[in-house]
Amino acid sequence: MDIQEKLEILSGAAKYDVSCSSSGSKRSSKSGHLGSVSSSGICHSFTPDGRCISLLKILLTNYCIYDCAYCANRRSNVIPRAAFSVDEVVDLTINFYRRNYIEGLFLSSAVFKNPNHTMEMLTTVIQKLRTEKGFGGYIHIKAIPGASSELIDLAGLYADRMSINIELPSDYSLKLLAPDKKKEDIFNPMKQINTNILNYQEDRKKYKSTPTYVPGGQSTQLIIGATPDNDLNILSLSQKLYDKYDLKRVYYSAYIPVNTGLNLPDIKNPPTLREHRLYQGDWLLRKYGFKAHELLNEQKPNFDINFDPKTNWALSSLHLFPVEVNTAPFGTLLRVPGIGVRSAQKITSARRIAPLSYLDLKKLGVVLKRAQYFITCNTKYFGAVALDEDKIRTALKPKLDLNEVDNPYVQLSLFDKFSTSKLLLVGDSTSSVTGEL
Amino acid sequence: MKDYVYDGSFDGLLTAIFHAYKEESPVKLLKELDYIPHLFNEKVTILTEIDKADRVYNSIYTKLSYDTLLNVYYLYLSDIQDIETLILDYIRLCFKYSDTINLAKNNDIIRSVDKYKRRVSGEAHLFTGLVRFKEITPLVFYAQIEPDHNILPLILGHFKQRFSDQHFIIHDLKREYAILYDLKEAYLHDLSLEEGRKLATLAAADSLENLFKSFYKATTISERHNERQQRSYMPKRYWKHLVEI
Repeated sequence: MDIQEKLEILSGAAKYDVSCSSSGSKRSSKSGHLGSVSSSGICHSFTPDGRCISLLKILLTNYCIYDCAYCANRRSNVIPRAAFSVDEVVDLTINFYRRNYIEGLFLSSAVFKNPNHTMEMLTTVIQKLRTEKGFGGYIHIKAIPGASSELIDLAGLYADRMSINIELPSDYSLKLLAPDKKKEDIFNPMKQINTNILNYQEDRKKYKSTPTYVPGGQSTQLIIGATPDNDLNILSLSQKLYDKYDLKRVYYSAYIPVNTGLNLPDIKNPPTLREHRLYQGDWLLRKYGFKAHELLNEQKPNFDINFDPKTNWALSSLHLFPVEVNTAPFGTLLRVPGIGVRSAQKITSARRIAPLSYLDLKKLGVVLKRAQYFITCNTKYFGAVALDEDKIRTALKPKLDLNEVDNPYVQLSLFDKFSTSKLLLVGDSTSSVTGEL
Repeated sequence: MKDYVYDGSFDGLLTAIFHAYKEESPVKLLKELDYIPHLFNEKVTILTEIDKADRVYNSIYTKLSYDTLLNVYYLYLSDIQDIETLILDYIRLCFKYSDTINLAKNNDIIRSVDKYKRRVSGEAHLFTGLVRFKEITPLVFYAQIEPDHNILPLILGHFKQRFSDQHFIIHDLKREYAILYDLKEAYLHDLSLEEGRKLATLAAADSLENLFKSFYKATTISERHNERQQRSYMPKRYWKHLVEI
């Protein structure tokens, strides 16, 4: 099999991993060596699905001993299988990198033989890149659940980011769809990596020669819609991961049916709008100081897809509104629907010079369509309707009920007609990427 | 109205600002390239004088701030028609109200400055990813770009650091100049379209391009097709020099 064919099979098999970020780490190269890492991350191209290509995202092999129901590479599937050799991956990475096609390598693998052997192979690849080739680009590597802790310790010395995908948000779902994987196999290495990161950071303060250990932190991924887990379960899990293991990102992936099976839902329409709302909720956890239980509760465990999570929250907490934009502290401004991080910064900056008028707010990039109901400007309320939950809800409701549109069990002819993406129906389609809510 | 025509360099612009600043009647600053004779306007040709340029540079740096100076430089690099008017208005505004006026994000001049600065720095960031090198001989690489703004000075440092062990040329076809790196120094130098064509033919067959094309194709998820999003991040005008599309 030639390299082209292998690349097609093994990058096609890796594409359902959403993470492609190359941010959070910084590595300046020594002169005469290849590669550097910029802390903001760099996108090198965008595919027709709108996702960015930053890293060469491939599996080392797709021969797998496991039979997870949701996975395209499960043992029982009859698909073309391939495996890269260590040198093939190293050469491909270096050659792509030299042409500025990629920011680095994202190396994952199906589990062949056993978890330890797989992890060892992955580690060999990145060790060779770093030590033999002096490669200074970004490396994201998967920790294989069940691999020994020594291997995890070693791999982290060469990687910028490590990740272990949880995929299924609860123990029940895991037993249902991935009976070969154990919960402990996922969370133990996560804990171990986090402890290592903290230890190495502590040592670096004392000894400058201490090597970096996973400087870009950890991330993980959850599949949305393959199991009956609700949004509250999912966001609470993310919250725990951020608080306990200091994860940098949790990615959400709307379930795309690649297999059929007894325990799998019969989905015709991947729930991408639900995924979008979860991403927005995730930003609120990380950047806006919200907690999962504020956004959702047992009575309302799922987001109303018609509204973004911040509007959802504000509508159920109307007693906190309206806030006065000329005096409210930064943290309070951040909680107003229609005011994002950047417009909140601009407001606090501009009002130091002179009090702001309502017209100024538009100039500062505040989305008045939503914000008007939740603010006063120089004590005056400018909302088109009174401060009343039902009235505001009606005013902000999209023309089309998005809950219907995102129903995973119904194939919608509407979208064939417009041949467009569902995401365009929400007015804030980029906010799950930029985090400006 | 007087038309102050300068040579297009940053020092030339600063010299023009030096002269325009004390002018009481309205003036318009123009690059030599953009200048079209006007019936009622008097043309004043500004000769670049380094000491006058330095005086403007230093007074912005010391009396205002480094950030303000940086804003002026980014605006200059934007290459947008008539950006000089905004630059002059901006400098006048800052000297009138002191540097803190930069906080007034609702001021129309400050807003425009922020907007164009973001455009320039945004494009520079985008092109740290969109440059595509072709190997012309082993470990010598050549890339062509056509950015909207004059971003070569902004991306020079990034590429020099990243590819410190390979020779490379990044050629801005619109402005006919390039970043040249020879393993020691990176510098900006004129490079004509004709020379660019010759270099490009040397790089015609690079087998890695096909590999990247198949990677690009294989990594697309067809169930999530969303070309509008793709174009919003990577506008079509940049596609010409991308090997994968």
